[in-house]
Amino acid sequence: MLSYLIRRVAWLIGSLFVAGSAVFFLLRVLPGDPAVTLLAVGSSPDQIDAIRHQLGTDRPVLAQYGHWLGDLVTGNLGDSLFTQMPVLDQIAGRLPVTVPLALSAFVLSIVVAVPIGVFAAVRRRGLLGVAVSTLAQLGIALPIFWIGIVVVWLVAVQWRALPPGGFPRTGWQDPAAAVQSLVLPVATLTIAQGSVLVRYVRSATLDVLSQEYVRTARSLGYSLPRALWRHGPRNGAATVVQILGILLASSLLGTVVIESVFALPGLGSLLLTSVKARDLPIVQGTVFLMTATVLVVGLVVDIVQRLVDPRLGART
Amino acid sequence: MTAHHRPSAGLPFARRLRPLGGLAAAAALAVLLAACGSSTSPGSTGAADTNATITVGSLNEPTTLNTVKGGNTGHAQVLLRNVVEGLTVLTDEGKVEPLLAKSWDVSADGTVYTFHLQPGVTFSDGTPLKASDVVVALERVTSDESTSARKKNLSIMKTIEAPDDGTVKVTLSARSQSFLFYLTSTGAAVTKPDAGNPETTVIGTGPYTLSSWKQGDSITLTRNDTYWGTKASNKQVVYRFFKDATAENNALLAGQLDLVTQVSSPDVLTQFDNRPEFSIVEGTSTTKELFNFNDAIAPFNNPDVRHAIRQAIDRKALLTAVWADRGQVIGSMVPPTDPWYEDLTSIDEHDVAGAKQLLAKAGYANGLSFTVDYVPSDAINIIAQGLKSQLAQANITITLNPVDDATWTDKVYKNHNFQATIMTHVNQRDLVWYGDPTFYWQYDNPQVQQWVKDSETAATPEEQTALLKKVARQISEDAASAWLFLDPAIKVASTSVSGYQKNNTTDSFYVAPITKR
Repeated sequence: MLSYLIRRVAWLIGSLFVAGSAVFFLLRVLPGDPAVTLLAVGSSPDQIDAIRHQLGTDRPVLAQYGHWLGDLVTGNLGDSLFTQMPVLDQIAGRLPVTVPLALSAFVLSIVVAVPIGVFAAVRRRGLLGVAVSTLAQLGIALPIFWIGIVVVWLVAVQWRALPPGGFPRTGWQDPAAAVQSLVLPVATLTIAQGSVLVRYVRSATLDVLSQEYVRTARSLGYSLPRALWRHGPRNGAATVVQILGILLASSLLGTVVIESVFALPGLGSLLLTSVKARDLPIVQGTVFLMTATVLVVGLVVDIVQRLVDPRLGART
Repeated sequence: MTAHHRPSAGLPFARRLRPLGGLAAAAALAVLLAACGSSTSPGSTGAADTNATITVGSLNEPTTLNTVKGGNTGHAQVLLRNVVEGLTVLTDEGKVEPLLAKSWDVSADGTVYTFHLQPGVTFSDGTPLKASDVVVALERVTSDESTSARKKNLSIMKTIEAPDDGTVKVTLSARSQSFLFYLTSTGAAVTKPDAGNPETTVIGTGPYTLSSWKQGDSITLTRNDTYWGTKASNKQVVYRFFKDATAENNALLAGQLDLVTQVSSPDVLTQFDNRPEFSIVEGTSTTKELFNFNDAIAPFNNPDVRHAIRQAIDRKALLTAVWADRGQVIGSMVPPTDPWYEDLTSIDEHDVAGAKQLLAKAGYANGLSFTVDYVPSDAINIIAQGLKSQLAQANITITLNPVDDATWTDKVYKNHNFQATIMTHVNQRDLVWYGDPTFYWQYDNPQVQQWVKDSETAATPEEQTALLKKVARQISEDAASAWLFLDPAIKVASTSVSGYQKNNTTDSFYVAPITKR
């Protein structure tokens, strides 16, 4: 297990390096010069060159890359081109919105979708079972921003039950207001993520249902729920853990769209604004951080999978 | 680079104008994302609450609070006239009036301006304003640090001196009819020197102090109770920033906002029509929708081709498609609020047969095809589709090429690597760009360049007006561009607020007179 861990962590570091480099170079290939976006119309080429020099974007790309890597190793993500504030501070300022949003949607999706998915599998021929799985299919098919727009229109604009967007300026100092402003975004993200999870859980359950050990348990007199409860989780756990890893990652990435629809000042909205302005250090930092989170979640998933299913370890 | 654009959907140049698991996913994400007070409103009854908080929705969040940075008009909208003030001010009617300068004397040759400062002015932290602070501000806007839209124009200041604490003397290198107008820009506003990081801190002499900037969300202004002039009619103004017009409208519908500074998409108006709790106010703007050609390259270096394209366009139909019965068709680069405005819409009126003849004469009897770059927004998309079908009638085939804002700036604005483009130009008095042959549309008429130059050094405003009228007419007769229409300035507000400015003829959004019942 220890050697496995060491190999896995080494692989993670290698991946982060490749991912970070890919982000760095892709951003440089993109059209759009940050110096030009900083200038007013009518600026002369001299002015553009002066700003490039000031920003450091006139240096060779490899030199910039070396500089960025060096900073990265020391935990420094650089400064914003526009506000000169450290990228890490800017990202940290957005986490109180994005982390609760992504995590609550993730947890809520599990709480809601797992029972529904099992139900849809057990009653797969019943009217309700079919209805549930059709709805889940619909939830997958509909774009998340559209779901968000409909939810806002109905709950916030028509009923005025909850705010249509925004986050309290005082942040979590007023927890009730902060929670209120996150209800609709979390609900929207949950609908989108939960629908995916319902489909997975349903098919995983169907898989288990057709297994011989369930039939054996049934023949021994176990009721179906009991048989499922006794044998289902252990046999299906490895797959489910993997799916949960993907789900956590996609909840995080889903916030990019959700924050725009609900006007939330989170990481996703920081990313969008910075891409538009070509504030490269912020884009690099944010994408790198999101990638790192996804990779770390992947690592944790692999380790947990081995713990719940020792058969996986036996192969290596 | 956004000074002449308005952010309809947060696009920089048009500024007001307007992800994945693992390695591949991160990379794909990056790529995907990138490709991606003067005029008053209808009155309201009831006593105004002088301690009210007014919440204003905007799609144009500043990228910096540094007043000498160009690139984006967001900081001008929030800061100019509210937090910082210049020697002169541009009113909502487009007039230049005194502000920090109480009065001024101009030498006979028009090159020496002696400004007499308002007495008793203090910065919001209590420090008295001195002439030397004004000198620092004016030196700053032309310094290396500055990327202000008016840096080049203000570089005509040869010397800036403070003979005493209440007087500023500026000597110009040549007479400049627009000097007082240039002084109204955000870059020339007076800020307290050494007040902290200029990107995030600003101390001015205006009716408000900046109390907080929560990036990605809002800026809060609080009334400056020691203001030297008429104090603000409300206690606090919160500008809330949105990335998405739908989210902004929902906030207004749900009562989170008191007003939005500019409706960028006509579709949303239907949500507010027939709702007594909202007023829709239409004013005039300086926002011009343009279909521009690269005049330096074939086939657009042939004026017949440009005239043909103009005649193939039905401007009225485009305007109706975008704004229904609002807005105004224009025949040149001048909005009606400028003194040198003339109705030139009769030049190159819609005439498909005439367009075909001109094309045949230019050697394109079998038709013409080219690519049009544009930054998509609700309004621009409608214009692009409209142009495509209208031009097809005259055998002109256009390929639409949507690009993002930064790409547009790089490709079209900087490198002139384009055939034609649709762009929104929001700046005031930007007619003079036609006097610069290196500007992105590369229109090159030495006569026009001379007139533009002469208009600046003209001895009187009348002379300036006469020359600029000639410019406006000549560029239209040359079909330098196809000017489509002027956007209406539409604000939607709760009927409980009044006193907000109606027009969008300045970069600032002056909030001090706004009251709430």
